[in-house]
Amino acid sequence: MATLSLRNLVKTYGDTQVLHGINLEIGSGEFVVLVGPSGCGKSTTLRMIAGLEEITAGEVHIAGRVVNNLEPKDRDIAMVFQNYAIYPHMSVRKNIGFGLRTAKISAKDKLGRLEEVAEILGLGELLDRKPSQLSGGQRQRVAIGRAMVRNPAAFLFDEPLSNLDAQLRTQMRLEIKKLHQRVGNTIVFVTHDQVEAMTMADRIVIMKDGHIQQVGSPLDVFYNPANMFVAQFIGAPSMNLMPGVWSNGAVSLDKGGLVPATGVKIRQGASVVLGLRPDDLRVTQEAGLFTGTVEVTEPLGSETLVHVSAGGQEIIAKAAGKHPPVLGSSVHLTASPDALHLFDKNTGEALL
Amino acid sequence: MVKFYQDLSISHKQIVWAWVFLAVPLIFYVTIRFYPTANAIILSFQSWNLLGPRTWAGMENYIKLWNDPVFWKVFRNTFVYLLIGTPVSLVISFTIAFHLDKLRFMHGLIRALYFLPFMTSAVAMAWVWRWFYQPVPIGLFNNFLASFGISQIAFLNSTTNALPSILAPAVWAGLGFQIIIFMAGLRAIPQTYYEAARIDGVSGWTILTEITLPLLKPTIVFLVVLSSIGFLRIFDQVYNMTLLDPGGPLNSTKPLVLMIYDTAFNAFDMGYAAAQTVVLFTVLLIVSLVQLRILRDR
Repeated sequence: MATLSLRNLVKTYGDTQVLHGINLEIGSGEFVVLVGPSGCGKSTTLRMIAGLEEITAGEVHIAGRVVNNLEPKDRDIAMVFQNYAIYPHMSVRKNIGFGLRTAKISAKDKLGRLEEVAEILGLGELLDRKPSQLSGGQRQRVAIGRAMVRNPAAFLFDEPLSNLDAQLRTQMRLEIKKLHQRVGNTIVFVTHDQVEAMTMADRIVIMKDGHIQQVGSPLDVFYNPANMFVAQFIGAPSMNLMPGVWSNGAVSLDKGGLVPATGVKIRQGASVVLGLRPDDLRVTQEAGLFTGTVEVTEPLGSETLVHVSAGGQEIIAKAAGKHPPVLGSSVHLTASPDALHLFDKNTGEALL
Repeated sequence: MVKFYQDLSISHKQIVWAWVFLAVPLIFYVTIRFYPTANAIILSFQSWNLLGPRTWAGMENYIKLWNDPVFWKVFRNTFVYLLIGTPVSLVISFTIAFHLDKLRFMHGLIRALYFLPFMTSAVAMAWVWRWFYQPVPIGLFNNFLASFGISQIAFLNSTTNALPSILAPAVWAGLGFQIIIFMAGLRAIPQTYYEAARIDGVSGWTILTEITLPLLKPTIVFLVVLSSIGFLRIFDQVYNMTLLDPGGPLNSTKPLVLMIYDTAFNAFDMGYAAAQTVVLFTVLLIVSLVQLRILRDR
């Protein structure tokens, strides 16, 4: 277990700068998820921590020492790759043992560690099988086992669940989280899936175009997004964003409608974007913030997503699973005042 | 006829078309490949001088072959070509491919240079190498040795040196092809395997022997089989470099194919030549099958 810190990390490929000064402190035993759309620099950041990418500028500290010029093997980290990187010609035993090749411990201790890891991951029965004889989830566990057996200061996961089907992904998500609670290692986990990030992380780091957008606990980034990008990226379906002009304690929306928004200190007539999560919008019969007709409904069982066309803008709201609004009917949408988000239209920064 | 075709189901129509297209290569193979092969096997039990009638000779040709000291010499030569040529060429081409794969500088040009000999005519190449091997003052190698005061080497005129001297250009000529195939194989290995190994901190040697080579196995099997067949059928290099006495001196370089050529078109003993061909065919078949067997997964 170790702390990890990134100080002003910069990466350029030729003239293209892909990371613009990343600063991040990761506590010992913390589970941090880097999340963002493809090309945001999350994998590059992880590979720089691992030592697979040269660091252009800035510093990476692992357990208090600068590791910029250390080979990956000397950084005391282990990595789990998207395609698992387990060797098809080796048995599970050899694959897991491969991580111990250079460890300076006795053969007996190596065997002990291997068996201990196999036990934790439930791979005991499969040790003599070849990877081709394993299911996707089992292969994933072998890859994790290979990382665990080295007992590293930190685990790095590079989109390890992307190759699994939806059901298995949910299951492995839980297993990794349980594993972390049990073993307690520091973990840096990269994914493009915000659900993975939300469910697994102690802290989420949301990245875009080589910049960190926000760092915070899952609930923090969900309820208090720092900017429009975070607001839209976290949460499914995405937050409804409606441009408008703020004046006298209310936002007058460009496409019609007036929504009261108080407690915000901006100049009169400022261009803003109003944000409302579908979860916070209730479909009612009484007059509310918006009135419109139901265009599409997407039943999900426990709830129904209702797409409402209100004065030229489409708003997504959530309604009860049973007895959802009828297609084409006229409905009202309402939200409690504290569910409102307000962003500066030009900078995208949160105002409320 | 048209009505009949229209009444067929889609899958039957597909079968009809499949057979129409298959018929072309099938007829080609039967007339160009299988018929002569079968004919050669029959001929090996016959006696024929190319002009007279073919008469049955039973096992006579094979008995003659068994008792022919030249055949055993040639048989041995052929296997020397195989047993030295295949491993040497594979080791060299892998070494080059392995390093070329990591090289970025003028990568394309260097690869093209290695491939060039493969596209060159074997005859022209053999003649150039023959010139290299000549004694002073003509031969390149001996001139080079002489300039350092080293005594001359009889490359092609010695019964011990001649075979390796002929094998060298044969190996060299095949390198380009093998390098290209090896490089394609190396490229197909996912980069993450190496990254994972780097994080595990294993040595370069371990990576090579326990990751690269095992993952390259299909490529290696392919090249071993292909190059073995090539060396077992070696002919043009030998024939063109020992033109005055093909396969000489004293049959020390003569491979099986050259012996077949001699028997057929110098001695006009077609039946005997056919028997030798059948032996070569059998050897090729056995060697290829054994290699596939050994090198395939366990």
